[in-house]
Amino acid sequence: MDLSTALIFLQQGIISGIVIGSVYALIAISAVIIFKATDIPNFAQGEFMTVGAFLSLVLLIPTFAGLPYYLVIPITAVVCFLLGVTVNGLVMQPITKAKGTLVAMVIATLGISFIIKGAARYSGLANSPRTFPALFSTDAIFIGDSVLTGQDIAILVFAVTAMLVFFAFFNLTRHGRAMRAVAMNPRAAALVGINLARVRMTIWGTSALLTGLAAILIGPKLLLTPDMGIIAIVAFAAAIIGGFHNLPGAIIGGFIIGILENLIGAFVATNAIRLTPFVVIMLVLLIRPQGLLGGKAQVKKV
Amino acid sequence: MTKSSRLLPAFGLLVLAAILLAFPFAASGYQIYIINLVLVWVVMSLGLNILMGETGLFGMAHVAFYGIGIYTTGLLTNNTGVPVLLAIFMAGCLAALIGFILGVLSIRMNDIYLGLSTFAFGEAMQWVFHNWDAVTKGVNGLRISPTTFFGWRIDSDFRAYFVALGIAVAFTVGAVVLSRSRFGRAMRAVRESEPAAAAVGINIRRVKVSAFAISAFYAGCAGGLITIFTSYIHPDTLGFNTTIVILTMLVVGGMGTIPGAIIGAAAIGVLSEFLRQAADRQEMIYGFVLVLFMVFLPDGIYGRIRHAWRRWSAS
Repeated sequence: MDLSTALIFLQQGIISGIVIGSVYALIAISAVIIFKATDIPNFAQGEFMTVGAFLSLVLLIPTFAGLPYYLVIPITAVVCFLLGVTVNGLVMQPITKAKGTLVAMVIATLGISFIIKGAARYSGLANSPRTFPALFSTDAIFIGDSVLTGQDIAILVFAVTAMLVFFAFFNLTRHGRAMRAVAMNPRAAALVGINLARVRMTIWGTSALLTGLAAILIGPKLLLTPDMGIIAIVAFAAAIIGGFHNLPGAIIGGFIIGILENLIGAFVATNAIRLTPFVVIMLVLLIRPQGLLGGKAQVKKV
Repeated sequence: MTKSSRLLPAFGLLVLAAILLAFPFAASGYQIYIINLVLVWVVMSLGLNILMGETGLFGMAHVAFYGIGIYTTGLLTNNTGVPVLLAIFMAGCLAALIGFILGVLSIRMNDIYLGLSTFAFGEAMQWVFHNWDAVTKGVNGLRISPTTFFGWRIDSDFRAYFVALGIAVAFTVGAVVLSRSRFGRAMRAVRESEPAAAAVGINIRRVKVSAFAISAFYAGCAGGLITIFTSYIHPDTLGFNTTIVILTMLVVGGMGTIPGAIIGAAAIGVLSEFLRQAADRQEMIYGFVLVLFMVFLPDGIYGRIRHAWRRWSAS
């Protein structure tokens, strides 16, 4: 490969990497806010995306409901929010109340991911290939030597906006600080009058909502299968790079992984793309368990 | 323990042994095959129980060692004259070595990060199974030829049953001995509180790494065992889904207990065969089982039995 081709690949890799990275970042943020508030890594995060994608597909395409986009987005948002609330209310809260261990709750999220995956498979919606109609134009826009579409830019804009909103929310508003308080020390938070149940409910709902909306944006780019939730693993890798407690870290991690994946795909082998997030997870956890941007290594509470 | 209270469990074991030995003569080939599978699951569950149940380490790479065991044993029996028991043992040792390495690498991680990195390792291993064509024949799967056991050709489920039963019993006895030993107590101490365990002089590092190695040995041997009565292995079955099935067995049976691991293996093993007919609903049902047990029966079936037994004998 000569230098000019390599440079083109590099440019395209970085640009595409930033776009896909922002999707990873969105899912990573959704997972991190649950982790910050409840100490649970939500293994059903990817399946929230599956729900968002399948639901909006059903609502959008003419063979089913054929609704216009400006209706589909709010409906999907609400349903995803309710999904998160239900998961929390029916599963997480009862386990917490029964003094369940963290392990039990993580296994429960695994169970939920399987239920959703299985339901998606059972519904048969993915049995025939379907195209997800894009919201924004898919015409190519040239940036230097690389190509972007209007849809890509929309993804980027949405992701950045969501990140800014959440950053402001968690740091500047009372509700956001209440959530961080619950994450740091639930008992103390309850003592100062924070309603734990309501905070947890809101967190789960918001996380699901964010992921569901990300699904609508990324839908045209992805293959809609019941296993599409696997993308959450990449998001976890992103969150780990940033240090799982760290929102800005998760974002940067998302971009890093997105770019890395594209570059490895271009310069190494397409086969190896699948392997990238796993190798990244193992390497980062080995060398620097608190993530590249995390603070000191977490001291385990006795 | 009084003499009479020791008699009852001994008698129960004899009855159980009689049933287990007589079973294959009275059952159909298909039923024997199911039980053979369950015996493999038992060894796998016992292995994961040692890592997760006794030592409290969130190891999500179990199926990777199972896969290593299958391929190693399959290749050894296909291509060399190594007797099958030795092949299984060697496969187990190779798996244990890799488990040892994984343990050493993971020593600094706790809980969730450990789960994520072992999960990543498991997925990476599956990628290797899929792509290392030279060894595993990749997506074409590997054909395994029937083996002989000390000159006795194993070409039916009936014959495989006795070998499987022997191995499963041996591993169960091993697990019991391990659990009751000082090392077993050390494992549980590490699970409950690392600082406290360190304070009484337990070498945390050694316990954790050994737990990884031992549980990998179990999984590797389970993989070797299944090659006796399976003729074909495909890397699609060696993914995270299978680790989840083993986890479900432990959850359902009772995490941290040996009877629980066995009960869970039997229950889920039989369930998975029934579900084979309703393959499209399989995942959903596993999910529901996991969630329901976590909410209502976090200690599993055996946990609930033990709970009830204690209350009954205290009254």
